[in-house]
Amino acid sequence: MEFLARIEATAFATWVREAPTLWAYPTILFLHTVGLGFLVGANVAIDLRLLGVARQLPLAPMEKLFPVMWAGFWINAASGTVLLMADATTKLTNPVFTIKMVFVALGVVNMAWLKRRLFREPASLDDWPTPPRARFVAVTSLLLWVLATTAGRLMGYLGPVSGLD
Amino acid sequence: MGTGMIPLGGEVQAIAAWLSGTWLHRFAAESQWVWAAMETLHFLGLGLLVGTIGVLDLRLLGLARGLPLAPLEKLVPWGVAGFVLNVVTGIVFFAGAPYQYIYNLAFQWKVLFMLAAGLNILVFYTSVARRTWAVPAGEHAPLAARIIGGVSLFCWVAVMYWGRMLTFFRPPFVVPPT
Repeated sequence: MEFLARIEATAFATWVREAPTLWAYPTILFLHTVGLGFLVGANVAIDLRLLGVARQLPLAPMEKLFPVMWAGFWINAASGTVLLMADATTKLTNPVFTIKMVFVALGVVNMAWLKRRLFREPASLDDWPTPPRARFVAVTSLLLWVLATTAGRLMGYLGPVSGLD
Repeated sequence: MGTGMIPLGGEVQAIAAWLSGTWLHRFAAESQWVWAAMETLHFLGLGLLVGTIGVLDLRLLGLARGLPLAPLEKLVPWGVAGFVLNVVTGIVFFAGAPYQYIYNLAFQWKVLFMLAAGLNILVFYTSVARRTWAVPAGEHAPLAARIIGGVSLFCWVAVMYWGRMLTFFRPPFVVPPT
């Protein structure tokens, strides 16, 4: 706890939290939202395709969406770390945060598996119906990102709440 | 007053006053869990919108050129679904605290960028839409469509930006002093 208080009291964390400029906390919060949009969004596009939406789309070129997802992921890892530092004693002691991290970790593992296994032979997925395992991965992906997003939102309502969004 | 960019006339205030007396206002303001649930749905709608319209915009800009455009059109209804979800949840927020929005500069910018995105879609469907949907795998979209895709992406990111800025532009009252 003392360690968390020290993080929160660093000059950087204090600046992020208290600087009266939109470039501090508000912009980092915005980046976290954009990262969510691209990480979850690009995942959703592939998931929908695997579940039968826009069936005529060849799967192989969708591999180009993975860099978009990873960009979203790293934007959020970085912006999330800064948001945590600014509010460490509250957010890092919130069990909802731990739950969110579990869902994010599972989501990323699922995403890596999708890339390594299903995109090894993407042409085998082009015909409808896609194999059950592909549909299973798509459903888990959707579920995990919905749960991660929900947990993130609920951090502002459940457990210790500081009022910093 | 004047925290907002557009000088607000009596009509806007009248709408806000009327909303404050509706069941929707009571529903939204009654419990923080209603608000939390609406926020969660609002973020999920955001993900759906970016995942469909955002991906289409990226393809128009030249990413994943191996994707033919015709089947990508099938993603549009899902984007519309995400947008409708966010309009509905947005109306609940608005009804719950109307004065927090009408006097909010960030809200006014957000609405303007939504209108710009809508106008951009209108331009698309009245100009290059048919030629664009016919673009096969491996080929660039027409220049006009690429510009429209870029404008769309910019507008939606701006909508997210001003949406996130809302809480930092809150007027210092729940009901404006008369």
